[in-house]
Amino acid sequence: MIRSNPEELIRKTIARFVDAEIIPVAQELDNKGEFPREIFEKLARMGLFGIRYPRNKGGAGGNTTLYCIICEELARGLVSVASITAMQCLMGTNFLFHYGTEEMREQYFLPAMRGEKIGCFCMTEPDAGSDLGAITTRATEVDGGYLINGMKTWVTDGPEASFYTVMCQTDPKKRLRGIGYFFIPRDFPGVSTSPRFECLGTRTTPICEVAFKDVFIPKEYRLTPEGEGLNAFLKIIAEIRAMTAALAIGLQRAAMDDSIKYANERVASGQTIGKFQLIQAKIANMATNLEASKLLTYKSAAMIDAGRDALKEATMAKYFATEAACSAADECTRIFAGYGYSMEYTAQRYYRDTRFLLSGGGTHEVLQGNIARWAGV
Amino acid sequence: MAIWVEVDLCDGCRRCVRACPYDAVEIREGKAHIGDRCTSCGACMEACRNEAILTDAQPRVVPDFSDYKGVWVFAEQRGGELHRVSVELLGKAQELATQLNQTVAAVLIGDGVAGLADTLVEFGADTVYLVEDAILRDYRTEAYAHVFKELVEAHKPNILLMGATHIGRDLAPRVSRRVGSGLTADCTELSIDPDEGILLQTRPAFGGNVMATIINRYSRPQMATVRPGVMEVVSAAGTQGSIVTHVTRVSEDRIGTKILEIVKEPKTHTDLTEAKVIVAGGRGVGDAAGFELLGELAAALGAELAGTRVAFEEGWIPASRQVGQTGVTVRPDLYIACGLSGAIQHRAGMMDSKFIVAINKDPYAPIFKVADWGIVGDVFDVVPELTAQVRAVCQVMCD
Amino acid sequence: MNIIVLIKQVPNTTEVKLDPKTGNLIREGVETIINPDDLHALEAALALKETHEAVVTVLSMGPPQAIDAVSEAMGMGADKAVFLSDRAFAGADTWATSYTLGKAIQHMGEVDLILAGRQAIDGDTAQVGPQVADFLDLPQVTYVFDIQAVHADYVVVKRRLEDGYERIQCRLPALLTVIPGAGKPRYPMASRLLLACREKAPIQVWNAADIRVTTAEVGLEGSLTQVMRTFAPKFERRGTMLEGGTVDVVRTLTAHLRENKLV
Repeated sequence: MIRSNPEELIRKTIARFVDAEIIPVAQELDNKGEFPREIFEKLARMGLFGIRYPRNKGGAGGNTTLYCIICEELARGLVSVASITAMQCLMGTNFLFHYGTEEMREQYFLPAMRGEKIGCFCMTEPDAGSDLGAITTRATEVDGGYLINGMKTWVTDGPEASFYTVMCQTDPKKRLRGIGYFFIPRDFPGVSTSPRFECLGTRTTPICEVAFKDVFIPKEYRLTPEGEGLNAFLKIIAEIRAMTAALAIGLQRAAMDDSIKYANERVASGQTIGKFQLIQAKIANMATNLEASKLLTYKSAAMIDAGRDALKEATMAKYFATEAACSAADECTRIFAGYGYSMEYTAQRYYRDTRFLLSGGGTHEVLQGNIARWAGV
Repeated sequence: MAIWVEVDLCDGCRRCVRACPYDAVEIREGKAHIGDRCTSCGACMEACRNEAILTDAQPRVVPDFSDYKGVWVFAEQRGGELHRVSVELLGKAQELATQLNQTVAAVLIGDGVAGLADTLVEFGADTVYLVEDAILRDYRTEAYAHVFKELVEAHKPNILLMGATHIGRDLAPRVSRRVGSGLTADCTELSIDPDEGILLQTRPAFGGNVMATIINRYSRPQMATVRPGVMEVVSAAGTQGSIVTHVTRVSEDRIGTKILEIVKEPKTHTDLTEAKVIVAGGRGVGDAAGFELLGELAAALGAELAGTRVAFEEGWIPASRQVGQTGVTVRPDLYIACGLSGAIQHRAGMMDSKFIVAINKDPYAPIFKVADWGIVGDVFDVVPELTAQVRAVCQVMCD
Repeated sequence: MNIIVLIKQVPNTTEVKLDPKTGNLIREGVETIINPDDLHALEAALALKETHEAVVTVLSMGPPQAIDAVSEAMGMGADKAVFLSDRAFAGADTWATSYTLGKAIQHMGEVDLILAGRQAIDGDTAQVGPQVADFLDLPQVTYVFDIQAVHADYVVVKRRLEDGYERIQCRLPALLTVIPGAGKPRYPMASRLLLACREKAPIQVWNAADIRVTTAEVGLEGSLTQVMRTFAPKFERRGTMLEGGTVDVVRTLTAHLRENKLV
């Protein structure tokens, strides 16, 4: 039976979309720094936001590997478009999908799949980043529901969101054991957002602070049952890191493609600069790092798809692929030399966008600590 | 043509069953049996150890086409006006016919178009097959295809050429299937193979990245279409030609299409990436008034206007007209670079042009390194002169 | 209404190069796509499906890897597909291709409308559509950019001419070849793409036996034309500097341009 390979088919389709719809406008979008509404709607029409969810529940019937492939290809075009998509596919809708009531699915999840509503994920607080036990946003049980109080920051898509999945502390004494996820529609009384942040990179991705002041939510808006918050977090964090690694791979490819093209065009001292060994060394490093990043990333994605614990592999993938992206973007600006410093060329954008990947999904300082601990020190 | 099993020689070894790619062979009562899924591919014959499987298939032979003679040209007319490509084709047909020692014929189809026959003779037709009928007034696929079938069957031409216009490219494949003949589209070169005496048809493929020479050994007439403007008009003034009228039997109920209206539209701007000729300017053009000079040249050439990043930033051209790394990439047949130095970011967008002309004051401008023809000079002198001469050339050709 | 759309997988031609030593096409690493005009034909069919009761079946012929074009078409919204794949079909010219496609269409049963792209970007011949129409003895309209009305037994379409267009009424069943019109081809949906990859997807794969043809009638053997040789077009830059007074250099230039048929 002759049939297409789903991974190749999805990759090819997204690649074509990226080449036709994103790359030609990427610089312009980045310059404007506005939410890429038009592209977001096109991605919705392709049904990509449901790639991880089963078809009979409003999804596309794919898996984490396909999700990572989509993120990688989109990031090759524009990291911020990819990160917006990544949020909508995973963090913004995951807990709503798994724990929301049928009514919430109808009201929020399905419209999110159609791109009509945007969901986002609130974890980091002004005084608590990777240290989740330190979060102070409180969910206090009251008659018929919960009262939410606190402040979240670095909320990706925050200014555009229709609803938030918010990590809250239910009992400060329990530290990590007390955390849980709560569903908070943006239009509920007491929810407010700051103006969007001015950021170094991923400029079309809007980021802001979200404050909750005595926000009342009904009982069923508590997504994770008592005591399951940490587990739910550990389950999603592996996928978040695999996805972030995929974004880094996309960025590496963009930087490498442009570097190779330029090295084959630009002439210095009578030959193309690609003929110089020092340039060749840079390209060789990019190509090798890219291949290694892919192996780590897609191994962890396959493990997640197989239902295995992939936290270690995904963490290593995120750490390695992002460092490789930083290096590729850095070398790209050097290969472009003066043009690498020009805002008109792409090299500078790659260079700035790497910074988003460094902290998203966990800082490398924390990740290296984790990896070292798993290694036995 | 068929394949069968000599039952006496078959030992029922099943090798043929395994070899058949189509599941067409089975063993019945210990002997191979070939079913109706057989495609006569011969895989079973190769697999058989006993030579028990036989075929009546013959190796392919080139049929005798010695009674197919003459080089024909479809004389395309619209509203009683002859399309220029038909006259161009007659020029080529004369050359081919001379080499073959055969004659040239034009096929003129329409209603009230007999007056065009003289022109066809003047440009090389020895014979004009004239087919007139009210039903044939405006081109319709089935009507014209039907006429061609009648004529080809009656007169057996060796070669049949049509212009690769929207009409020619609609009609030629239809006729080719109808008369059972191979067809090569959009040829840029036609010649006769000196040994075999067959038509060598050369055409671009893969978007012009590859040229292919194609032959039609197994069917007649050898059919080809040729793009307008490729072949040269050759006058045959003073020669005589005869007109042969043909009465078609095609009837309205066979045709299937009705033309409700024919609408003429003025030419609009084409997409830069699809432009055949581009006139581009850069800093050296100086100002918007300079670009008007370029615009006049573009108009004379039927070209599109484009420019560099500087030209865009100065507001001389819209963003969609910027060629280069941060603009669009173009690959026209002709790119005329005026007053632009040819920085790498611009060259990246136009390097694949088939021909490049550079006009620049600075003899060391890098654009000259990628140009086919370079002129060191002031854009304000050279461009108006070029416009004037191009206009003059076109005038001559249109007359 | 049964609509068949003919599609072809083609290399993205802007990248195809000849090996300078062997003269063969370098196909390695060349991206393949659904032929652009065919995408417009499919889009036209899918648009009809939105306003008419219609079943859209995609028909394609190619090597096994060309299944991706079929899957993509399913992803865009085609209801089913027939994929003709057999080594015997390889090397076909437009004569043999139109015969093979025509035979397959006869096997597919009732059809009201066949849509195809005007031409494929690898060959640019624009021949297969009309040849299929003639094989099936159907009326054709080529260069269609607007399907204005679809009735039970006729359509009204606009056909592009070099200097305008014709409005044509065409009897059904018919074959139309399509050029890019107003509607931009849609992108496939992820869920449909993934469904098309499954064994039980409504995609039939047919070989020569399935459409009851002999191998001598199809592919290279069944072709009437043959490629005798391929070669790279001359591309090197002349780099000639024209010298003299303005009028003279321009005259020389104009002569060069005429010689190369550029004016």
